[in-house]
Amino acid sequence: MLIAQQILNGLSFGATLFLLASGLTLVFGLMRIVNMAHGAFYMLGGYVGIAVSAISGNLLVGLVAAIAVVGVLAFIVEIGLLRFVRGQELPEVLLTIGVSFVVADVCLWIFGGDPQQLPNAVRPQGTLTIGTFSAPWYSLFVIGVALVIGIALALVQTRTRVGAIVRAGVDNREVISAMGVNIRWVFTGMFVVGAALAAIGGTIGAGRTPILQGVQNEVLLYALVVIIIGGLGSIAGAAVGSAVIGLIDVFAKTYIPELSYFTVFLPMALVLVIRPQGLFGRTA
Amino acid sequence: MSNPGTRATPVVRPATGLIPARLGGGGGFFRSRTFQLVGLGVVLAVGIALPYLGTNSFAISLTSTILIAAILASSVNFLVGEGGMASLGHGAIAGAAAYGAGWASKQGMDVGMQVVLALAVTLVVSFVYGVLSMRTSGIYFLMVTLAVGMLIFGLASKYTTVTNGDTGISGIARPEFLGEYWTYYYFVLAMFVVSTALLWIVGRSPFGASLRGIRDSESRMRSLGYGVAWYKVGAFMISGFIAGLAGLLSVWHTGFVSPTSTGVERSVLLIVMVILGGVGTTLGPLIGAAIVVLIENVLSSYVDRWQLILGLIFIAVILFARAGIAGSIAKLVRRGRRRPA
Repeated sequence: MLIAQQILNGLSFGATLFLLASGLTLVFGLMRIVNMAHGAFYMLGGYVGIAVSAISGNLLVGLVAAIAVVGVLAFIVEIGLLRFVRGQELPEVLLTIGVSFVVADVCLWIFGGDPQQLPNAVRPQGTLTIGTFSAPWYSLFVIGVALVIGIALALVQTRTRVGAIVRAGVDNREVISAMGVNIRWVFTGMFVVGAALAAIGGTIGAGRTPILQGVQNEVLLYALVVIIIGGLGSIAGAAVGSAVIGLIDVFAKTYIPELSYFTVFLPMALVLVIRPQGLFGRTA
Repeated sequence: MSNPGTRATPVVRPATGLIPARLGGGGGFFRSRTFQLVGLGVVLAVGIALPYLGTNSFAISLTSTILIAAILASSVNFLVGEGGMASLGHGAIAGAAAYGAGWASKQGMDVGMQVVLALAVTLVVSFVYGVLSMRTSGIYFLMVTLAVGMLIFGLASKYTTVTNGDTGISGIARPEFLGEYWTYYYFVLAMFVVSTALLWIVGRSPFGASLRGIRDSESRMRSLGYGVAWYKVGAFMISGFIAGLAGLLSVWHTGFVSPTSTGVERSVLLIVMVILGGVGTTLGPLIGAAIVVLIENVLSSYVDRWQLILGLIFIAVILFARAGIAGSIAKLVRRGRRRPA
């Protein structure tokens, strides 16, 4: 039963990772930017979500607030900073590193240095018990949210006009702009959506692991591992990668704690060397 | 990868926009080199005179910290500037070297063995980095180095039987003849000069020229018959060696090593230093290291928001002074000289 418990635990960690990694991978797929501020967006989303849901007593209100705050910030970062270095890979990445520094420090300023968690009153409580196996409702809730969002993203991407524009942008931005689509605003929109996903991840994830200084780097690294293993730009890859890394991490922390980081980053190093485009990535 | 234009190689121009329109090429090159040599001479003179200028031991020790950071930053600068490869793993290389020395000291070995182990660990780690990253460039290179750096961080913080985990290893003594803070300062200064000279010589050698060729067009160099991948490994080994030296110097400086010194934050700060100073310039790493170390150690005791300030400075430099501080000054000097002519 311990194993079943851990599988559930790993999947629910994987679900948080998916919320985070899907935003990162979508932004990378379209814009070719590795957004190093993604972890900071997660952290800010977590703090805002905790604070607002504690005041309002409603998780949904907290979520909306987190999405709004982080979304506006991402909008400002995109049109105020990233547009000026468009197409220059390293400056883009470095700029987001700078943004991450600033956001993290402003969070420390506003929310203080103590670890914060989602208040118990607003989260699904209790456990689902089947025989000797008991599953916290919250873990199931996290997995459910990730599934819904994952399916929604996949549907939007494959079934709608917006999705078609984004896919076309991924394949060839020159042609799609020549066909009359203002690709700059598609980029901005995608960046905001990616950040909003990070904010959702932060708020929901704050029910599992506390939000505190330093968490931005940790979650960013996990998300990077996931999207590299899954293939940059691929939603399906992010889903599989998240589940795999979530499970590996939980099992490794239980059975071989001395090597727990190693077990997460080794698969990534291997994938990069053997199949650099990732499991689901298209050939380079 | 999806953009048809970039289908042949995952990333075509790794460092586009970061290398200041080549410091030189033609007549400007000589001028900027003179400028940099003069600058280096001034720095050296000030450096030698510093302990006699009525400075206290804190200032000298802080300057040693800056110089060590500058050595480490110059190893990153070499890779970015000559090879177009931005590494997020150099903090971990230096940290691994420091752990090599620390472990030797923990086992009660003498200073000679500390040096040997630090060197051995450095070479092995740099080789692993090099081999894992040799077929990548640009963002992928960044991520491979990040991943390997995290592996080392993970080992440092979790493999407690060797590394003492998060407590780290303390009480690592430096050689006795370097015991005084000022003798050690001169030693660090000498090492800074040696490593800067070494990287400068490598940069001017045919090997350096080939590296710049790879930076500017990997596919062209490959079709000219260069073994691009092994050039990259070689560059990484050289850069890693310097980084390991910095790691050994820093562990002798503080007598202490912990997982923090191998962390990603360290490596990110190194990139910040390199960009602030100016990619590909000789003096840039020193300027960048001075700014970052001073903000981190001095400004932080006056204002709480030093990280915010550092982040804003970094963003401003990327947006407005892409050539960095040393690069921008060199550019201004060149412009000033050209006008009267």
